[in-house]
Amino acid sequence: MRQWLSVLCCLALAAAVLGGTSQVGAQGGGSIVGEVKFSGTPPAPKVVKVNKDNQACGDEKKSEELVVGANKGIKNAVVSVVGAKGPAPKPAQKPLLDQKGCQFQPHVLLLPAGAEVDIQNPDGVLHNIHTFSTANPSINKAQPKFKKVMTEKFEKPEIIKVQCDAHSWMLGWVVVQAHPHYAVTDEGGAFKLDNVPAGKHKVEVWHETLGKMTQEVEVKAGAPAKVTFELAKK
Amino acid sequence: MSVFRSKFFQAVLILVVVFLLFRFGIRPAAPWSVFTLYMFVALIAVLVYVSSNGDSWRSFVAPIRATVLDDSKRPIRLVLMVLLPLLFGYYAYTQAAARIEAPAELRAIHPAPPASISFRGKTLDVQGLENPLRKDAPNLKKYVAEGAVIYIKNCMYCHGDNLDGNGHFAHVFNPPPANFTDPGTIAMLQEAFLFWRIAKGGPGLPKESAPWNSVMPAWEDRLSEEDIWKVIMYLYDATGYQPRRWESHASAGPSPLTLTLSPRGERETSAPSPPQGKRGSPTPSPSKGEGVGEGGLVGAAWAQTTGDPAQGKLIYEKKCLLCHGEKGDGNGPAAPLLDPRPRDFTKGKYKIRTSASGRLPTDADLFRIIAEGMPGTSMPGWKVLPEKDRRDLVAYLKTFAGDAFKEAPKVSDLPKEVASSKESLARGKEMFEAIECNKCHGNAGRGDGPSMPELKDDWGNPVRPANLTKSWTFRGGASAREVAARLVTGLMGTPMPSFIDSVEKPEDVWHVANYVKSLGPEKMDFATILPVRAVQGEIPDDPAAKFWEGQPPHHFPLAGQVIADPRNFNPSVDMVTVRAVYSESEIAFHVTWDDPTPSKPDPKAKTFADQVALQFATRPGEGNERPYVLAGDGSNPVTLLRWSSEGGVGEASATGIAKITPRTGEAVKAKGKAVFADGQYRLVIKRPRGGADPNDLAFPVGRFLSVAFMAWDGGAGEGGAKMSFSSWYYLRLEEPGSNKPYIIPPLVVLVTAALELLVIRGARRRTHGG
Repeated sequence: MRQWLSVLCCLALAAAVLGGTSQVGAQGGGSIVGEVKFSGTPPAPKVVKVNKDNQACGDEKKSEELVVGANKGIKNAVVSVVGAKGPAPKPAQKPLLDQKGCQFQPHVLLLPAGAEVDIQNPDGVLHNIHTFSTANPSINKAQPKFKKVMTEKFEKPEIIKVQCDAHSWMLGWVVVQAHPHYAVTDEGGAFKLDNVPAGKHKVEVWHETLGKMTQEVEVKAGAPAKVTFELAKK
Repeated sequence: MSVFRSKFFQAVLILVVVFLLFRFGIRPAAPWSVFTLYMFVALIAVLVYVSSNGDSWRSFVAPIRATVLDDSKRPIRLVLMVLLPLLFGYYAYTQAAARIEAPAELRAIHPAPPASISFRGKTLDVQGLENPLRKDAPNLKKYVAEGAVIYIKNCMYCHGDNLDGNGHFAHVFNPPPANFTDPGTIAMLQEAFLFWRIAKGGPGLPKESAPWNSVMPAWEDRLSEEDIWKVIMYLYDATGYQPRRWESHASAGPSPLTLTLSPRGERETSAPSPPQGKRGSPTPSPSKGEGVGEGGLVGAAWAQTTGDPAQGKLIYEKKCLLCHGEKGDGNGPAAPLLDPRPRDFTKGKYKIRTSASGRLPTDADLFRIIAEGMPGTSMPGWKVLPEKDRRDLVAYLKTFAGDAFKEAPKVSDLPKEVASSKESLARGKEMFEAIECNKCHGNAGRGDGPSMPELKDDWGNPVRPANLTKSWTFRGGASAREVAARLVTGLMGTPMPSFIDSVEKPEDVWHVANYVKSLGPEKMDFATILPVRAVQGEIPDDPAAKFWEGQPPHHFPLAGQVIADPRNFNPSVDMVTVRAVYSESEIAFHVTWDDPTPSKPDPKAKTFADQVALQFATRPGEGNERPYVLAGDGSNPVTLLRWSSEGGVGEASATGIAKITPRTGEAVKAKGKAVFADGQYRLVIKRPRGGADPNDLAFPVGRFLSVAFMAWDGGAGEGGAKMSFSSWYYLRLEEPGSNKPYIIPPLVVLVTAALELLVIRGARRRTHGG
């Protein structure tokens, strides 16, 4: 028992030392809140005509490549603290990637590294999960109508494109988190990163069609730091 | 011992040995006609030998006399009395019932070139002409390298990566493309001869050596003088041969005419035709040893001896670089012209594996593809390279993918084999529908599913789903085992997913594989001639009529047109199936071909009408002389009977690929109709047999006429010169309802038996009388 305690103590000490040297390791967390906005006139959302499986998929699909809401807020952008450490917390529920109506739901899924995800096919038609990875194996697995749920695991942090070749408009993203400080923007382009250690941080936003951008933010314990990103069409 | 001294026995022994020697000792096998000639000469020689003096002759004849006369030989005599007539009768039957074969064509191997040629307005004297680039000694290497790029972009399709005349279009052509590695080709010729043949092609061949029927285009409009000299330098460099030099006395022209036999019907024994060839080989690859093994996907036969990447690099630079690129990214100079594109080795994504989805292939997987090639693509099998070289290549390929190969491949297990049966096929069909193979591959498996037009590979290039009815084009091999393996692992980098986790039971992959195999023929035997059957009464217009299913199909391979712009390096239609009949007044062709989409011209979508054409020599020449196969040439017009999804059936006259003139009004005598279903067109095209008008096409019974085929898949952007075409084939209207096979053989049996009796009786009378 005592041995165990000493090991734990050592580990805690080591963690503290390591954490202390890193940029974002300070004690006492704050939060970062902000918005991701579109700069310029947002293009009209693309609409794709559905040419097969209309009963399951409907007649047309709005492309989710770029969704700009009221006030030019961009939905589905991923905001993260660059270089943050520590394991991402286990999600309370097993993450779910749904394909209902021949559309990936959510469009951008946050997933802690090493976590399993249930991939669901309630449509009664064939889908296939085709991922474009570099760190993880790129998989391409069929999910016929009778295979309601498949489980996959993503071990290494990276942003992975997911598509279904059977329905060319189906596109989604799995963001495998390296650390806890990730958020996806909501309809209005707003996001919130909780429990960010106090100190100076680089915050990065990534959007599938608009690319990446970073900003410096100073987080103080107790008070939310504000940051606004403006992304333009490349 | 006395048996060996018997002249009769010796004679028989010699003949048997000669027979075995000529029949099986010559590789590739000699044509039958040559073989019979050899045997005849041997027979004469034996007769001369045994009749050299009186004793010898008596010794030879003695056993024959004995058999005819001796009472002790009675049983042998009786057996022979029965056997000989039957043997002759059988021979007569095979002759009488023989299917028509194309007539043999005698042609010159190295026809004499003209004294001079005009090249782009310049006159070049072929006699004594030297390759001017050879004088520029410091740049020889550069010229060879540039020649290699010219070769891979223009010549490789027919003459092959290995310069062995076995490119991926080669199986379409007769005579086959020249094999430069054969010591009988470029090694015997001056460079000037090659220049002439490349510049002027088939159309430039002298009339005296007709029929050549060479598909070799005239490259003078596409390649510059320097380009041609460069590619010639590459040919010699790559094969290691030296060009023949002009001898000091200028009279020595190229080698005299050499006659060879190229009988069409026997090409399969002499030249590899596609089903037997390396490419598009429908015979299941020998996977048991090297690839898929029992139980697991990986064969135990693979010994883990690793190759040497440094050695592999040297081979790669010689043999692979022009397609796969210096960096291994599949971006070599030839790559933009190829579809499917050459593999990008940097991603570690390989289609044909025994490893699970997302996993790297095993060394054995890579080795196997290098050895076997990929049917239906421009990747040839590299068995010409020693095994060690191929292992070294495997080691080198892996270095392109960075650290990816550090991870041990995770091999997928293949479920226990299920043999094909009625139940298995039924289950396979059920699963084929349940897992929606048809979404990409179509209901009948012809690669025409609704998702087909949108499919892209991981590099963003459009990719076509496999036509499951053509198993000889399956990239990883045609056997049910290979198909099952593809279902288990998927084809990485393409939309084809892995199904092993998503079938109801693991063995379902076998049922589906068995079902897929049942969708098309086991192998493809291409035709060498188009016989036209005689029928009574009206010929049905409807391509779907039952009548047509009763007619024997003849399959003809097509290749892309690559000489005139726009060129077609990746033809969509790779074969047509033709059934042909004639009646008193009409001839009718029933043409079937696969096309994933019925298309109409649409400039926005860059699509054209789907088309097919049957080509005939407008003036059937004397002997075997034919117009140039690509829509004729200046002095030899062709007539096209054609059908288009836009304008229906029509006719055209042509004197070249860019000189096609549609006929109008009453000049159009062809009629017809097409139907489309499940990725396949069927067309009936009919025309009066003619004969009255000497300037019009005529189809008399019993004559060898010429026919060729062309096809356009408008949905794939094919139109105009961008098309696929066949070689010339013979077409012959069969004599109606011949009963020869039933009358002649019995007659032969009777006559032989009667002759035997006469001989025996005559011999006996003489002996007993004397």
